[in-house]
Amino acid sequence: MKQLYNDFFGEFGGRYVAEVLRSPLDELESAFVDALSDEAFMREFHRLLASYVGRPTPLLHAENVTRDVGGAQIYIKLEGLAATGAHKINNALGQALLARRMGKPRIIAETGAGQHGVATAAVCAKLGLQCRVYMGEVDMRRQKPNVFWMEMYGAEVVPVTSGARTLKDAVNEAMRDWSANFADTHYLLGSALGPSPFPDMVREFQSVIGTEVVSQLSALGVRPTTLVTCVGGGSNAMGFFSPYIHETEPELIGVEAGGRGPAQGDHAARMNGLGTPGIVQGYRSLFLLDDDGQVMPTHSVSAGLDYPGVGPQLAHLGQTGRVRFERATDSEALEGLQYFARKEGVIFALESAHAGMVAIRRAKELTPDEAVVINMSGRGDKDLFITARELDAERWKEFLTREAASL
Amino acid sequence: MSNTTRIMAHVIPWYPDRAQSMDAVRGLVDAGVSYLEVQFPFSDPTADGPAIQAACSDALEAGFTVADGFAFLDEIRTITDTPVFLMSYASLIYRPGVQAFVARAREHGVAGLIVPDLPPDYDEGLYDACRDAGIACVPVLVATSADARVDLALSTKPEYVYVALRTGTTGSRTELGALNMGFLEKIGASGTKIFAGFGIQDAGQVQALAPHCEAAVVGSAFVRTIAAASGSGVYEAVKARAESLLDAK
Ligand SMILES: Cc1ncc(COP(=O)(O)O)c(C=O)c1O
Repeated sequence: MKQLYNDFFGEFGGRYVAEVLRSPLDELESAFVDALSDEAFMREFHRLLASYVGRPTPLLHAENVTRDVGGAQIYIKLEGLAATGAHKINNALGQALLARRMGKPRIIAETGAGQHGVATAAVCAKLGLQCRVYMGEVDMRRQKPNVFWMEMYGAEVVPVTSGARTLKDAVNEAMRDWSANFADTHYLLGSALGPSPFPDMVREFQSVIGTEVVSQLSALGVRPTTLVTCVGGGSNAMGFFSPYIHETEPELIGVEAGGRGPAQGDHAARMNGLGTPGIVQGYRSLFLLDDDGQVMPTHSVSAGLDYPGVGPQLAHLGQTGRVRFERATDSEALEGLQYFARKEGVIFALESAHAGMVAIRRAKELTPDEAVVINMSGRGDKDLFITARELDAERWKEFLTREAASL
Repeated sequence: MSNTTRIMAHVIPWYPDRAQSMDAVRGLVDAGVSYLEVQFPFSDPTADGPAIQAACSDALEAGFTVADGFAFLDEIRTITDTPVFLMSYASLIYRPGVQAFVARAREHGVAGLIVPDLPPDYDEGLYDACRDAGIACVPVLVATSADARVDLALSTKPEYVYVALRTGTTGSRTELGALNMGFLEKIGASGTKIFAGFGIQDAGQVQALAPHCEAAVVGSAFVRTIAAASGSGVYEAVKARAESLLDAK
């Protein structure tokens, strides 16, 4: 059954927060339910999705890759062609419009890779909202270009120096800010996780991805066999999968970060028995926890997948078997990145490249009258400083040294 | 209501290390605090301010485990009868199972549990488990809590309620304004005992609170004292700080 606001998905979800955050979350829940049934609000959302975000994003028939792989037809939803380079802006725009409607002039957000931060900063500039982005110090260092762009949009980027100094710590810091300032501030959370109503709300704002895929495929007369996408917290996956989660077809595959391998601390995969049921950052789901319940360190070459918890609805869909989960390693992601660039002329974000590799594996097992659709959640421009260093270290170092010297 | 000043002192086992955190407990007990709130460090303490979060990180770095935490409680029992309330986060309580955690807390002599992210309507059975075990489950309220939230907390018939005085998290100076005072009156009228805290730094605040609550909770002020005295006499520094807070003439 399809429902706007669920709170729980099977045993996962909920609103496990300190009392101080109850009134802002209760307020947000009713504002969100109200706005989504308001035609004027939705019209404004879709107007800006078209004119500002650049939707619909194309669905590409990857003919060269299809031929090379020799299995199912492969299609790529080029979500990375949305403004600011990833799907993140769909949710950022929806929530920022909601904040404006709620009369909250100040926006705070967390960011890991910086994609959600950049999308939020851009949307806040467009809508005239004040914006502060919390970002772990470690992430700020590895994603410097995104910090530059956020500041270009007029956002204040605040380094988070607590804990592991990555995404989860940025979430903690944003929750702290919200606790103190909710009267005039909306916390624009970037993935389909956190306390309710965030998982429901983020899915709804991201569902435009799946809705477009349905009509684009039907225009081509294609019935998909398999949908594949990457899973960090689960926002692009929930948006992409949403039209299909209550059906038995097509097959839905979520790809997690296999990192350097399955050893503790080397990956960010929570499904398939690696994660443990827990309650962290306001929601019940599967997390990478030690025996005491402490959150364990994670690793991925892609900052966007490097997070210890998975969104509650995806955890549930994994448990029911509706979504199957697989992993791709750091090196598989880098291989996928190069493969799609050379063969198809498309540069995937490292996050999305995880899905690309698993899609190829799956397509090989299928026949040419079947179809696999990959959601390329982001484009890879943002990863230049990581991929160049991983794939072409010597010449990249030479370049950087020369640049530094010329400053 | 009491006219003498009482303090619930917050301590973090293993901050900055095992021995010195026990020194802090001794200092607090010898200064005459009325209650101890022992916080088991969690990696992601969203309801704590920067000072306590950093201290929890340090404690985890120093090797704190939940088993160590319970051993710490046992050691406290050998030096004092001061009631101990165990504060932590849902993740640590949920991981072994709420019932199992509560049973263990009771075995180790805990008077009550304070778990801010397991409120009465998302409690995973914590309130029932505590009732069955005969220990207090202390709801946390804020002065901005809606009436329905207050009613829900009070419907658990709590022996104690923890009131977080400022909106936001621990660590910055709290003004005991009309909103806070009015809220304390309202909760106090229900007959429950109140622990009131967050951001208390000086004797004046402790004294101002005294008529309105069972005890004033002091947390980050002691963390700062411990940080400053680490390696050079935590016992003396904490004892002196607690005495100065209690000495509100
Ligand atoms: C391009 C891209 N894809 C995927 C993700 C993972 O997030 P989610 O699982 O919420 O889609 C991110 C997060 O930063 C991202 O930037």
